[in-house]
Formats: sequence, structure tokens, C-alpha cells
Amino acid sequence: MLQPTAIVLQGAFLLVLFLFVAWVVRSTLRDLRRPDELRAAGPAPADATGIHSAATVGGAPAGGGEQRLVVERAPGHTPGMEYEIAGGAVLGRGEQAEIRLDDPYASSAHARLVLQGGRVVLEDLGSTNGTFLNEEIVSGPQPLHQGDRVRIGDSEFLFVDC
Amino acid sequence: MSARNRELLGLLPASLLIVAGFGAVFLQERTQLDDLSLTYGAIFLGLCFAAHMIIRVRLPDADPYLLPIIAVLASVGLVMIYRLNETLARDQAQWFVIGLIAFAATIILLRDYRVLERYRYLIAAGSIVLLLLPRVPGIGQQANGAYLGISLGPVSFQPAEFAKIGIIIFLASYLRDTRALLVSRKRFGITLPRLKHIGPLLLVWGLAMLMLVFIRDLGSSLMFFGGFLAMLYVATDRLIFPVVGLGLFGVGAWVLAASVGHVGDRVSAWQHPFDPTLYEQIGGSYQIAQSLFAQADGGVWGQGFGEALISVGDSPILPAAQTDLIYAVIVNELGLVGGIALLLVYLLLIERGFRVAVLARDSFSKLLATGLTTVVALQVFVIVGGVTKVIPLTGVTLPFVSYGGSSIVANFVIVALLLLISDRARREARR
Repeated sequence: MLQPTAIVLQGAFLLVLFLFVAWVVRSTLRDLRRPDELRAAGPAPADATGIHSAATVGGAPAGGGEQRLVVERAPGHTPGMEYEIAGGAVLGRGEQAEIRLDDPYASSAHARLVLQGGRVVLEDLGSTNGTFLNEEIVSGPQPLHQGDRVRIGDSEFLFVDC
Repeated sequence: MSARNRELLGLLPASLLIVAGFGAVFLQERTQLDDLSLTYGAIFLGLCFAAHMIIRVRLPDADPYLLPIIAVLASVGLVMIYRLNETLARDQAQWFVIGLIAFAATIILLRDYRVLERYRYLIAAGSIVLLLLPRVPGIGQQANGAYLGISLGPVSFQPAEFAKIGIIIFLASYLRDTRALLVSRKRFGITLPRLKHIGPLLLVWGLAMLMLVFIRDLGSSLMFFGGFLAMLYVATDRLIFPVVGLGLFGVGAWVLAASVGHVGDRVSAWQHPFDPTLYEQIGGSYQIAQSLFAQADGGVWGQGFGEALISVGDSPILPAAQTDLIYAVIVNELGLVGGIALLLVYLLLIERGFRVAVLARDSFSKLLATGLTTVVALQVFVIVGGVTKVIPLTGVTLPFVSYGGSSIVANFVIVALLLLISDRARREARR
């Protein structure tokens, strides 16, 4: 036999449950209608070229200015250090590499940056552990864009083009 | 309103549920309202507040709805388990606290969850060992033909609950590296990856089949493999992988249903739950038939808290009411309305999880969030689908609601990982 108060309490229980659902749904829908959160997050890394195009560049046209790699984190480097890529560079652990990596995961000649028609192109030189562009493994030459991240082992660089 | 204040506000409904739910149960069982329900509500609110403060300090940008959603689910679970058995509810409350500690530990210790990638093979090997532990003589336990639990002295737990997190972490890391290679080669117009790239993926299929054979549990095997296929689909954007994978799984499951007695019994119980011989048979369709009766009996508005008939004397009317059949008890007492509300809350949890995956910038985070969310979603599907006779009933827990220590702790860890991913993604998005 159900008591009236118990029925009221059960009604309150269900009401709270549904109000909670409605509250979360309402906020979620509002998030969906205001897509700046998503747009700022950018598309999937597979087409990472567009991620930073609207932000941080400040409207400077790409290709004309100086292009450089900024150290995000790398053994033996201080974060914020910059390498200018004038006519291209080899990244690796070996003596002849222009950008020396003090990283156990790097091969002696690990990857190469070449300038092709004003664009910097990243190419893996058959390294053991792979080169990653925006956390995607590089298989074949990849043109770099402002804000792209290049990672080799534990070393990570930011490509700046402006 | 800032994200964290929103989260704090969202904790109130959960504690109101505790107050109203316990109040109603007290009233039914002792015919008087006890202000103990207010105390329980306050304690629950205090615990959730502690978790909230940890998030506020460590993950200020994390998704604000995940914690309130799991608090609501846990409060529904605590009320229902209390209503079934007071001692179990006390246990469950302790497990809830342990789960919160695991949740806090994950958030505090795992400063950067991406270090997990570095230990992926160790994590994978550990997970496989955990999965096989229940078959080790002496510590393994068999329940209803499935080997899921182990007991070490007074503590018994289900290692598969933790193994699933490890395997998802491994797969996310592995697919992050190989996703480009998996789709790079085309032959005869279809994507045909090289054997060395697909090898580990076949290994996962083999592992799922092995789980079916050794652990004999269709539910958790489906959970693992489904999570894996979802991640594979997200990683490669090729429908062919999940289609072929489901086909392979179907073949394996069919062979197993035909050859392993206890799996076959489950399937025939699912096909003909009201067959008198199956109904009378031990390990037959009694449980699923009773579950259907209980849900039908609930109607739209339910019988009311404390009204479900769980057992007559010593013989159970609803076997395993606090674990497998808790959804049936909820529908019986709160009706279709209550069942729908609960499923909606799960839907929101899964929506928030996939949203974390959408917002995440790097592939590892995306795949990890996808995998973790899919596993929780499939777990809800396997057990709710089981008790409503959509698929054969197998014993997995209803996340955060069912009685079960390992389940609640493992699910807390999953949500902690989602919050870690979400914090990083949303902070980067704001910059």
C-alpha cells in the first residue's frame, strides 16, 4: 500500500530527474547553436592546415616573410628557441644535421625541411621512429603551414610563418 | 555562469534525488519519514563537492556536466540498492567513496595523460594478464559459467573492468600512429592495408574471441570489440573496417554459441523466454522472463518505491536484482517514465563524452575519448538490451547504478580520463 507522502516524494524524484535532463539538454543545445567553441577548436588534425589560419597570424600573408621553427620542448634546448629556415635544414641526431636533436628517439638524419616555391616542405628521411606533423605520422613530403606542430620523439617544434 | 559554477549547481539535483529517494524508501519500509534521508543527502553533496573542488583546482576548463551526470546516476543507484538490501547499500556507499578517491588520484597523479602513450605496450600486456587472471586456479571464480571475478583474501573484484581501460589506452595510442598507414594502400579499388599493419588489429579480434572462449562472457567481449571497431572507424574513416569486424565477430559468436553449452543456453533463453521447459530449467530463461514480467508490471508510472516483489521467502522472484536486473527493478518501481529518465541521463553522458572527442585536437586524445565513451555506451546497451530482450542477457553492470565495486571504481577512472582530455581540449580551444 502506497502512502500519499511516498507518492509525492516519488513524483519529486522523477521531476528532479527530468528537470536535470532538461537543464543539460538546454545547455548542450545552446553550445551547439553558438559554434565558436567548436570553430576555435578547428577541424580534425588530418587537415591541420587551417587550424591557425584565422588566429594568431594577424593577417600577415604567408610565404613572404621569415619562416622558422620554434622549440616547444626538446632535450638539450630551451623552449622558445628559434631556428630560421633560410634554405632548408636537416633535423637529426647526427653531426651534419643543421638542427641537432639530443633525443634518443631521433635518427642521425631524421627529417628534412626544404623550400619549394616559398613553401616549407617537411619530409621524413626514413627514420626509425617516424616524424609527426600535428601528431600524424608523415609519409611523404608535407607542406607546412603557420601553427603546425612537428614532433620527433620527445622533441616538439612549432612552425611559424610570418 | 562559468563552467565550474555550472558544475556546482548541477550537483544539487543529485543530492535532492538522494533526499527524495531515501525519504520515500524509509516511508515505505518503516511507515515514517526519517530525517536520516536529509543527512544522507548532505553527506552525498559533501562528497561530490570534494570532487568538484579537485576539478576546480586541477582542471578548471573541463566539461562541466560530466560530474553532475555521474552524481545523478550514482544517487539513483544508491537509492535502488538501499531499497533492495541495506547491507549492500552500505558496501556500495563505501565503493562510491573509493571510486571518488580513484577519480581524484587519476586527476592529481596524471598531470599529463599523454605520458600513457609511452607505456602503451606495458599497459596492453598488463591488461591481457588482468583479463586472464580469473582463469588462474586458486584466485579465479566462476559465476554462471563465466569467469569474471577473482578473489584475493576478503577482496574480490572483476579485473576485466580495469583491463578495458588499459586496452582502450593501448588502442588509442596504436591507432594514432598507424591510422595513416592503414588507409595508405589500395588494391583493386578497396583499402587493403599491409599485413604488418593489420596484424595487431587481428590480434585484438583474436583477443576478443579468446575472451569468449576463456572467460565465456559475450557481454564484455562485445563491449571490448565494439569499442575497438568504433575507434578504428574514427581513426580511418573507412566503413569497411567496422563492417568486416562485425562480420568476424558474428561468425565467432555464432560458432561459440553452437559449441559452448552455457552460451548456447543463453541464446535459446533469449529466443524463447516463456517456453515452460526453459523457464523451469536451472540457468534457463527464468531470469529474463521475470525481468520482462517486472517491467510490464511497472506500467507507465510504476508501482512505487519499495513495491517491487524481489523474493518470496528464500526463492528470488528477480534473481541478481542488485546487479543484472537493477534496470528491471527501476522500471517496475518508477515505471516507463523512470526508465526513460535514466536512459536519457545515460544518453547525455555519452553525448558529453563524444563532445570531448570532437573538441580534442590531437588524434590520441580524440581516439581515447571515443573509445572510453563507446565502451560505457556499449555497456549500457548490453545490460539494458539484455533485460529488455533485445540481445541475449549477459551479466555486465549498469554503469554507476548497479551494485559492484570494480565497476564503479573503473567507471570513475574513465570519467576522470574524459575530464583530463576535456580540460586540455577546451583550454586550447579558448586560446
